[in-house]
Amino acid sequence: MIIPATVVLLLTLFYPIVNTIIISFFDKKLFYPSFSTFVGLSNYKEILSNEEFWSAFKITIYFTIVSVFLEFVIGLFTAILLNQNFKLRGFLRTLVILPWAIPTVVNGVLWQWIFDSNYGSLNGLLYQLGLIHNYVNWLGKPFMALNMVIIADVWKNCWFFTIVLLGALQTIPKNYYDAAKVDGAGFWNRLFNVTLPLLRPAIVVSLVLRTSEAFKVFDIIYIMTKGGPANGTQVLSYYVYHTSFEAMQLGKGAALSTIIAIIILLIALVYIKSLMREEVEINA
Amino acid sequence: MKKVLILLFIITSLMIFSTTTIRVISSDDFAAFRQEAIKRFEELYPDIKVELLSVGYNQLYQKIITTLAVDPSAFDVIDVDCIWTPEFATLGLLEPVDNRLTEDMKNNILESAMNIMRYNGKTYGLPMFNDVLFFYYNEDLLKKAGIRRPPATWDEFVAFSKILQDKGLVKYGSVWGWAQAEGLICYYTLLLGSFGGQYFDENENPVFNTGGGLKALEWMVDSIYNYKVVDPSSINSDDRAMLHAIANGDAAFGFNWSFAWQIFNDPDQSSQVNKIKVALVPTGVPGIVSNTSSGSMGLAITKGSKNKEAAWKFISFLASREEQRRQSIEYGAMPIWEDLYNDKEILTHHPEFSEMVNQLYYVTDRPSLVKYQEFSRILQIYIQKALTRQMTPKEALDKAAEEVNKLLGK
Repeated sequence: MIIPATVVLLLTLFYPIVNTIIISFFDKKLFYPSFSTFVGLSNYKEILSNEEFWSAFKITIYFTIVSVFLEFVIGLFTAILLNQNFKLRGFLRTLVILPWAIPTVVNGVLWQWIFDSNYGSLNGLLYQLGLIHNYVNWLGKPFMALNMVIIADVWKNCWFFTIVLLGALQTIPKNYYDAAKVDGAGFWNRLFNVTLPLLRPAIVVSLVLRTSEAFKVFDIIYIMTKGGPANGTQVLSYYVYHTSFEAMQLGKGAALSTIIAIIILLIALVYIKSLMREEVEINA
Repeated sequence: MKKVLILLFIITSLMIFSTTTIRVISSDDFAAFRQEAIKRFEELYPDIKVELLSVGYNQLYQKIITTLAVDPSAFDVIDVDCIWTPEFATLGLLEPVDNRLTEDMKNNILESAMNIMRYNGKTYGLPMFNDVLFFYYNEDLLKKAGIRRPPATWDEFVAFSKILQDKGLVKYGSVWGWAQAEGLICYYTLLLGSFGGQYFDENENPVFNTGGGLKALEWMVDSIYNYKVVDPSSINSDDRAMLHAIANGDAAFGFNWSFAWQIFNDPDQSSQVNKIKVALVPTGVPGIVSNTSSGSMGLAITKGSKNKEAAWKFISFLASREEQRRQSIEYGAMPIWEDLYNDKEILTHHPEFSEMVNQLYYVTDRPSLVKYQEFSRILQIYIQKALTRQMTPKEALDKAAEEVNKLLGK
């Protein structure tokens, strides 16, 4: 009975991956797929010597590091908060899922309007509070646009960490904290010496997931800025999309995808190596 | 009972098989008009059903290319922008229609309109309207500022904008669609021509980084940062998003396509109904009366279509004089038939028609290249770099010219 399962796995998992890697060695075009010639590593050479690739790489790294960091910190602290006992806890725990449940496309349009330079609510709010004297064009400058997209993405995704970490927090027995308090440990001490070590498996899983998702970000960029202004928000996935479907160079697109996959694999390995040490033991 | 059911089944399947369904994909600019036209078409041809898929212009190219790459018969009729004809024809997506054209069509449709559907001696469909960027101005706001006529030169444009801004009537004189999209190249073409520039010289070398082409980009950058008469949000607004500001009376001047006229006069979408008029696009050089960029689109039959007869019937219906007249009167489009330009009905019902016709004499087309998409993208990115002040206009255009040379294999 293992054979059918293996066949399905091979077809759905390995075939597309292997096929992509094979295509990356040809100069396949979207419109004449049968007329492709073998070009060896030249797709890879062209990409790695292309300024646009490195720009997209830098932007993606920045996006990933900043958004995952913010999401993790906000997620962790809201999880700790929601782990406390207070009246509206159940209601808030449910509310927290809402942003995460919104389709990314809807989230993108929502924030696009909030950041609109003439009719957006962010400008309206800051102006009425007297914090700005002129409306700001939030999505008009390359670096600022990138940061605004990060805000939109963080708002939607930090609750992923909240939910995962909250679940893990609830498995930590309360008497560990009591013991720590008896030993005189304050909030930060308890956080770094009790909570985080015990959360390690959950943190690794959620970080690996979110980091690889952030690295592959595409839809929110497509909706909010389309890679602009002046390519300032063009992340690697958008660059692959442009290469494969707008410039119609499937061979180069496949090479790019392979490069991205290797990078994500490396990131995952780094996380797992550095965070997954031996089972942590707390001596009570 | 069984016999009745079998009979019913046979009758319904016969009915289904005797109707042809054609699938049309088009830009959503004239979607409302096309929906109504489809109803009239289906009344005329009861055995043809039309399924219309309306897509935003900026998604249209992608959708067509990726869908047809997988299934060449997925669409029977596609909307083709004038800049896509060389590429689509070369990729083998379009069915030549030279043997279907009537004498009337060959002789009486405007040459400039028919040309957008021609490549390498073959005709690939019919143009649907004759479109250029028009200069829309808010007459009411100008009157309130004491300005008696719209600006005729870019210097006057800047001066009048400042007057309107100083009097607190608008935040910025004008808003444009300079986002990193195809529209940006249309605006750049409008300005390049009005400053006497060209894209390529006789030897097909790029020269847009000199003369009028350079002046155009310098004007764009100055208008935002030095003269301060253009809303900085223009940098990330495309040519559809910028319409809000004009329709709300927040800007007095705007340059847009013929479909915008209907939006400005629709009480559901605009607070400036009947206040917006059309004038000739201002000029930058004394010898040039005006200049604008063309942007006509047409409908073509796909090579892979299984219903070419029905598809042609649909295309020629929309191109017919009655439908063209309706499109002009109700939606502000410019017709493709030469004789309709003297049509009494259109002249009486579309108040800005004669002004718009004047603009058609002063047009620059964007370059006709098979690799147009890549060319446009290179230019868009570098123009944006200049607009966001990451490079000077000269640096940006020089680099763009360098890459265009590489692209075209020079």
